[in-house]
Amino acid sequence: MKKLLVFLFVIMFVFSFAKTKIVFWTAPNPNQEAYWKKLVAEYEQQHPDIDIEWTTIPAAGSSEEAILSAIASGRTPDICTNIFSGFAAQLIELDQLVELNKLPGFNDLIAARKMDSIIKGWNFMGKSYVLPIYSNPILMWWRKDILEKYGWKKPPRTYSDVYELSKQFVVPKEKYTMRVVAGRNWWDRWFDYITYYYAASEGKPYIDLKKYRAIYNNDAGIKVAKFFETMFKNGWTAVDLGNAPLYNGVILGSLKGPWEIPYAEKQFPKVLKNIEITPPIVPDNYPENKPIYTFADTKGLVIFKTSKHQKEAWDFVKWVFSNPENDKLWLEMTKMPPARSDLLTNDLFKEFFKNNPLAAQYAKYVGYAVPPALISKTVDVQDEMTVSLIEPIMYGKADAETAVKNSIKKINRIIW
Amino acid sequence: MVTKMRKREARKGLLISSTYLVYAAIFWGYPFIWLVILAFSRWRYVGTPRFAGFRNFLRILYDPIFWKSFFNVLNFLTYYIPIVLIFSLLFALALSKLKYGKTFVALSFLVANVSSGVAYSIMFSKLFAENGPLNQLVYRLFNTTIPWFTSPQLAMFSISLIVVWKFIGYYGLILYAGIISIPKSIYEAAELDGANKYVKFFKITLPLLNPSIVMVLVFAISLSFGIFTEPYMITGGGPMRSTLMPMMVMYTSAFQKLDPTYAATMSIFTAIFSFGIIWITRKLLEREVEIV
Repeated sequence: MKKLLVFLFVIMFVFSFAKTKIVFWTAPNPNQEAYWKKLVAEYEQQHPDIDIEWTTIPAAGSSEEAILSAIASGRTPDICTNIFSGFAAQLIELDQLVELNKLPGFNDLIAARKMDSIIKGWNFMGKSYVLPIYSNPILMWWRKDILEKYGWKKPPRTYSDVYELSKQFVVPKEKYTMRVVAGRNWWDRWFDYITYYYAASEGKPYIDLKKYRAIYNNDAGIKVAKFFETMFKNGWTAVDLGNAPLYNGVILGSLKGPWEIPYAEKQFPKVLKNIEITPPIVPDNYPENKPIYTFADTKGLVIFKTSKHQKEAWDFVKWVFSNPENDKLWLEMTKMPPARSDLLTNDLFKEFFKNNPLAAQYAKYVGYAVPPALISKTVDVQDEMTVSLIEPIMYGKADAETAVKNSIKKINRIIW
Repeated sequence: MVTKMRKREARKGLLISSTYLVYAAIFWGYPFIWLVILAFSRWRYVGTPRFAGFRNFLRILYDPIFWKSFFNVLNFLTYYIPIVLIFSLLFALALSKLKYGKTFVALSFLVANVSSGVAYSIMFSKLFAENGPLNQLVYRLFNTTIPWFTSPQLAMFSISLIVVWKFIGYYGLILYAGIISIPKSIYEAAELDGANKYVKFFKITLPLLNPSIVMVLVFAISLSFGIFTEPYMITGGGPMRSTLMPMMVMYTSAFQKLDPTYAATMSIFTAIFSFGIIWITRKLLEREVEIV
């Protein structure tokens, strides 16, 4: 009897001091690491019963690969960041994610952070599985100093402006107007065709998620393809522009995300002073008074269904994202706009944007930045876009309209 | 007495080889069984694999991307095999003629073979870039540039040149070992019969090098089906999927499209083709060589 009492006492003692352990993975990025390290330590200090085992997503070919390996081997974390929409859709199909909108306080959090419009882009069949952390609008960087030499006080706004500038500036095999195609990887379509399509179409979707059909074979989609065609046919852009072409003066403009600012500050501080950031270029008939939409390179946070501590995990997430001071810290440490649409109206961020005008330009477009289509076949779709749309135009194998038509047909075969 | 000794010896032998057997069972047997299970299943990393019969095998038959990658390997082989064979042979012959510094020269060429694939892929992509140093030189000399990696026709040739650079030293040493094992007396006898250097090369050296050449061919073919780093790093499989290799298709299927069972089936197909081509090559080219 005595032994049993001692045993029970020990058990009670152990349990009363045991901490709830939450495994938390974040993006392997030095600035983000520094941010999460600070916040996790702060949370643990305020919540002594919680132990957050925080690490960056383990080294692998990609974050997705590491997360999949973890799922397959039963080592899934409780919370994970750095989830892009296509991967989220795949995880939702695999029934791996917690439906966040069912958790207590979700709607209040979204309202407090002014995320109503942003969260819509992440809705999957009307449900929210991902909490977007940051939303990076993709904008044009222009070499103001060189443009001025050619008599351009403002950077080009329309396709015709770009053609005009090209006639003045381009020297075959040496200098080109701008980077049109970002590369041949599937994700590069986010940073060229899809961005220009959103700009030309006022942010219309390129995939109809109700009918599961590609729908960019419209006026906007064809105009963008024709712009690509004109640029390549005339040699005003090239497939390979060499190393750091914008900074080396080989091109005058290129689409870039806000992550480029800290890089340029370190590597090309002199050139950065001469950079002007504008929205993506648009077709000639695009009204001047209308806002220009762009692509949102956005990543979110998920809680996995396998988590035994979903409540505690959600409490931590709520703690982080309900405090706007944490968003300010995020901005200062990463220079990436947090996913909230009050960045320019909230007094808390004013000073930061005053001191960082380039970042402020990005903040201005958060509300007009549209995330990619939430489909589970993102890789297949965008790979097909590369092969059937972009490359035939680049190499002059098909005219713009035919390329759009062919790619739509092939993509529909994939997603239908 | 003899039987007892034999049994003891057998036990010793088994004990010594058991380390290898255990190693093979863990690192070869287990993955192999898992591969076969996957090929006949439907599984997306979660839950238990479900039996799917020949579904994955039938999918491959109608998959244009897999077949494109397969024909890309054949395209790669048509560039790679003749170039690497000629240059390795030249390297081996030159090495056999060297009087001094043989080890240094051999090691210098082997450096390429042991270099990191990622590192030299980045180096070559910069070197052969549209505005890279090589094209700048060509532009100055001929007022044109060569689209090394950006032309669908040239890209595979450029990649095969890089792989040739990596393997000349390694294959060259295999051929060199074959050359030095040919007895000098055969050449001396041929010289007495009035054979010139061309006759000696084509009638003695090449035929007696047959085992080494076939070995190099076997290595080159199996490498071609497994090539990944160079096209992945330099061209990403493009332009127009012209450098897309089976390994890249498998990688994207397994880790980007969440389809490991299909990737496993593709790996079985690729292995069968690879062994098939090696088998045909050996049947066609391998000769019994006896140096007495």
